[in-house]
Amino acid sequence: METEVFSTEFWQAFAPEMVLVVGLVLLFIIPNLGEAKFRVPLTKVRIPWLFGGRRFKSTGSPALPGMLGTATLFVALGMMVIETIDGGLSTTTVTSGDVTLLQIDAFSRFFEIIFLAAILMASMASLDRVPAHTFKGNKSLEEMYDNRRQADLYILMLTTALGMCMVALSQDLFVLFVGLELASLATYILVAFHKESKAGAESGVKYFIVGSVASGIGLYGLSLLYLEFGSLQLSTLSANWADGSILATIALGLVLVGFGFKVSAAPFHFAAPDAYAGANSPIAGVLATASKAMGMIGLIRILLVIALPDTGTDGSAIWIYTLATLSVVTMTWGNIAALGSTNPKRMLAYSSVAHAGYMMAALTAVGAWHWGHVEAPADYAEAIVAAILFHLFVLVAFKLGAFLVLGLLEMEGGASRLSALSGLARRDPLIGTSMFIFMLALAGVPPLAGFMSKFLVIASIVSTSVGDQWVNGSISFSDLHWVWWLALAMFINSAISVFYYLRIGVVMFLDIPEEGRRKPLPYGASIRMAIWICLVATIILGLSADTLIDMCYRAAESLKLA
Amino acid sequence: MSESGIIDYAVLIPLLPMLAFPVILFLGKMFNGTPTWVKNVKEGGIIALTVMGASLLLALLVIKEHMHHVGTANIFTWFESSWWNPETGAITTKVFGVGVYIDHLTVMLLFVAAFLCFLINIFSIGYMNTDPINDNRNHRFYAEFVLFCSGMLGMVLADSFLWLFIFWELMGLCSYLLIGFYYERPSAAYAAKKAFLTTRVGDVFLVIGLIMLWNLFQPYAGTQGALSYAVVFDPANIAKVNPGDLQIALGMMFIGAVGKSAQFPLHVWLPDAMEGPTPVSALIHAATMVNAGLYLVARMFPFFSGAELGALSTLAIVIACIGGITAVMAALIAFVQMDLKKVLAYSTMSQLAYIFTGLGSALWFANNGYEELAAFAMGASLFHLFNHAMAKGMLFMASGSVIHEMHHAHHEVAHHGHDDDHGDDHDDHHDDHFDAQSMENMGGLASRMPITATAMFFGSMSIIGIPLIGGFWSKEGIISSAWQVARKEPVFLLPAMLVLIGAGMTGFYMSRMWFMTFAGKPKTEVAEKVHEQTAWIPIPLVILTFMTLGAFILAGMHAGHWLGDFNNGHYSNFFDGIGYELEHVFMNHDMFLFILTYVAIGLSLILGPSLAMSLYGGSLDDGQKAKPWMQWAISLSAKVNSKSNFDNSAWANSSLSESLHKRLHFDDIYDAAMLKIVVGFANLSAIFDSKVIDGVIKTIESTSQEVSRRVRSLTTGSARDYIMMATLGTLVIFMLLWGVA
Repeated sequence: METEVFSTEFWQAFAPEMVLVVGLVLLFIIPNLGEAKFRVPLTKVRIPWLFGGRRFKSTGSPALPGMLGTATLFVALGMMVIETIDGGLSTTTVTSGDVTLLQIDAFSRFFEIIFLAAILMASMASLDRVPAHTFKGNKSLEEMYDNRRQADLYILMLTTALGMCMVALSQDLFVLFVGLELASLATYILVAFHKESKAGAESGVKYFIVGSVASGIGLYGLSLLYLEFGSLQLSTLSANWADGSILATIALGLVLVGFGFKVSAAPFHFAAPDAYAGANSPIAGVLATASKAMGMIGLIRILLVIALPDTGTDGSAIWIYTLATLSVVTMTWGNIAALGSTNPKRMLAYSSVAHAGYMMAALTAVGAWHWGHVEAPADYAEAIVAAILFHLFVLVAFKLGAFLVLGLLEMEGGASRLSALSGLARRDPLIGTSMFIFMLALAGVPPLAGFMSKFLVIASIVSTSVGDQWVNGSISFSDLHWVWWLALAMFINSAISVFYYLRIGVVMFLDIPEEGRRKPLPYGASIRMAIWICLVATIILGLSADTLIDMCYRAAESLKLA
Repeated sequence: MSESGIIDYAVLIPLLPMLAFPVILFLGKMFNGTPTWVKNVKEGGIIALTVMGASLLLALLVIKEHMHHVGTANIFTWFESSWWNPETGAITTKVFGVGVYIDHLTVMLLFVAAFLCFLINIFSIGYMNTDPINDNRNHRFYAEFVLFCSGMLGMVLADSFLWLFIFWELMGLCSYLLIGFYYERPSAAYAAKKAFLTTRVGDVFLVIGLIMLWNLFQPYAGTQGALSYAVVFDPANIAKVNPGDLQIALGMMFIGAVGKSAQFPLHVWLPDAMEGPTPVSALIHAATMVNAGLYLVARMFPFFSGAELGALSTLAIVIACIGGITAVMAALIAFVQMDLKKVLAYSTMSQLAYIFTGLGSALWFANNGYEELAAFAMGASLFHLFNHAMAKGMLFMASGSVIHEMHHAHHEVAHHGHDDDHGDDHDDHHDDHFDAQSMENMGGLASRMPITATAMFFGSMSIIGIPLIGGFWSKEGIISSAWQVARKEPVFLLPAMLVLIGAGMTGFYMSRMWFMTFAGKPKTEVAEKVHEQTAWIPIPLVILTFMTLGAFILAGMHAGHWLGDFNNGHYSNFFDGIGYELEHVFMNHDMFLFILTYVAIGLSLILGPSLAMSLYGGSLDDGQKAKPWMQWAISLSAKVNSKSNFDNSAWANSSLSESLHKRLHFDDIYDAAMLKIVVGFANLSAIFDSKVIDGVIKTIESTSQEVSRRVRSLTTGSARDYIMMATLGTLVIFMLLWGVA
């Protein structure tokens, strides 16, 4: 279905996104409602106009923005999930003139669900993590700051969500870039949200500077693409890619840098550990999951939709060696750096670098999709893309879950040393066990979701490397495509990573709690609820992943790679 | 073949208790000591009971559905994976999932396990929750208890040897944890270790056997696992396998069964395992877990009936001989035991040995083409398993009841009956070395504990094989099967002879136990004060007494035939069947079997018990009277005792008696062997471990930490450096793209 911008169909199709917009507007308005009156100039007539002035008790409550933001995200996510499950999802394209701007399909909806789920969890956790206090008795400076900033926090979160959704929906690289920047700028501020703390402010600024440079390089790449093809439409670029000159290749390299930063691929990942360590844990969790998925959309669009050779031609994509190198360097770098890292947040940051490497390895295998004229290459490609999507989805469960546990620890002090976790299993067995399960899932231990995602990725890479060679009877190792080695690299890296994941378990179960952390953990109903949701998802999606895998396949099919 | 229906929910039977395990553990940790937790939830007992009740209910539904046909269901497919075999170059798809397999054997054991788990759970609430030593740790007991039940039920329902092994090991773990429940007692900790390590020896062989089996069947497995029953029990596959290799594999698996079911020579752990709380002894070490070994051997039946004629008969003979030897050896040691629970432990060993002999006969018949006889022997063995589980579970619970009340009575005596609240002073309760489990301190309890005495009375009769009661039906079948094999295969004379002698010995030691405990005058002041007072405990005793007495109904319904014939066996109407059964047992047309029956009855009914009466019989003290169904036995024993002047001092001083007290020196020999060989080897490997392995590991560790430190030192913290690295990265990307373009 095609529709013009702001037509009736447009509003219907984009109802969930509109909920986000309405929520944003309400977040601006409601906390500012008050008894203010407007004096008609030169008269004594004062008309109440309810904006500013002394706030009403109900609208002035510092807890209100949190509720409002969480509810908005929940409603939007619920609408999307129901739409997807009902099967009522039809492909809707938004055009303006002859330019296609946005498109709702299984792929974009899948990513939107990832984004909203991650941000919803973070927002639920923030209700406790950045608590709103009602003013009674002593008020510390920090409490006052926290209260003043409640609306800001959730406005930024909703903005991030909106920007990310735009990235997922975009059918034009320029729209994609705008969405990317909308989300990125909001996350830069979120990282530096605790501006009083040195770490927060510093990491926010660093993240901003490095991110801007990467965005700049990416934008330059886009401008070169425009110069070459005269359009930034995905369909146009994809159709004309084969005729591109060297300029297109240079553009491809530059754009790769821009998105490489977003997925924190080495060597563009340096700001990530600093940013994660400085940010609130729930925010760091969003960076490690939703933000990474956003970068992944960029990579999928540019590499798989645009720069993939047609089925008719022979050979692999030109970026295949580049991406293979990047992926191996990224996963190895991430894992080795995580080995010695004693700050749990930095450790998780490096682990998320390693996970980016795994996903890039999978993308590389798609680049080899019809080597030697494989029959039905789209099947192989879709299997890999589905595996990547599955991985991105389940990361929300266990990586974000791990960050939320750290967030719970931050409520009673810092969580920047490994010893902060010591004795956690004794202090709070349920939380300790959940953290351990998250770690096992990250390490890829069956039967958890992490195992399934790694299994799918490795299996799809291997089956691509085998291709349809086996039809001819027996085959040997030399008959395999070299992307097989990427699966092996991933396998070895997974083995290395077990060390630092299990170390968390050792610390939690065997060490004695450090001085000043002997008491039970702070309660935090909603952050715990978010942790439980992540925990249940981690287990269920490992044991019974069929529904989700089907969703991933449908999303991958809607990319129409072949 | 997969089907739907109630079988789809069969997986919940083990799953519910498994889920209850963390729940009880965490709730116990949270609410430990609070009044609601202690009074209303019974420290987790009620949760466990609810779950076990649900499991039992589901199990009954499944049993009802599958009485007459084999059911298999793939409950859950986790994922499918294709893999490529570099040797053959072929692509195989394997399905990873969980399924259940339900046939007669499963149905029978499922009932035994679910039913006894439930009853013993009731018993535990009475037994564990009133024991002051257990204050604030019963949630651990119930958590481990349900985990064990999950293991047992899962093992029975598994549809492959792999899952069977997984649940097998789960049970092993729970057995270890529960034997060591009183971990502060060195003897309990030692017993737990001993049980774990001894069964481990068997389990290693079981793993080896499974690996061999996997190797044998792997070429024919198709999309299924090579250890799934559907593959290994397929006669077409069995016919393709080399029977010599198959025999070795099954033999290895049998060693695993020997360890689990405490048979010679891996039997040493079972008596020590009595250090665990009595419900544990009743459930794990009498009624369920020790049956796992029997179950494993019974599961092997299709191999024997499917393989080449006579190819596996050596293994069948070995199984029967191990059974025969254990039957007599354990019975001998039971002669001199004074500890009530230890007598029962040796009796368990001995009765399990009977079943092994019966299974050995069945397997021999199956492998030599005697289908009907094989079905009969199989049915008798499994029926004995059923009867024994019911009776022995009951006997252990009854012994627990005795011990429990002895403790209470001792407490009253030691504290002059003043304080009912026995909270903090349980320490001195153990300091004065009063042994509440020793039969030397008991006597004359028949009138003081009527329910317990009745339960023990009929339980003992069932184990002995008193005609028409409980185990009689099945034991006769085992003995006659063994002799039937012996008529065809002379080597079988050994086990056949041993089980026949064993029948008389059983009569002696079980009667001895009952008369020493319940007849005669109380031997201590404590025994005088004993009375039944704890709620919950009598309930399962009464239920199981009726189960034991009701065995003749099952026998009349041809339970043996039904259990024995996996494909065509049907149970029948009671009145049709009972006449046939009675005629078959008492008026057999085969002269040989006819005589054999009466020899066995004579040994077990007349010789054993009368010897025990003459030594240990005696009337109750004045004014006390037992229930009429026991009173006659007590009066008779008093008469026999007074008439005979049997002097057993010569026996008591003999060297055999002494070595029986030392459990035939098995422990000494094993300990010596351990010290010399194992410890020496352990020292050697400790040196290897600390020098070589640790050295390598530490080097890897320090190197990787150093590498990690260097890699991380690139993250300088300065945005300028980050941008420089990013720029370098961009250049690298260009170079790589250039190389291709």
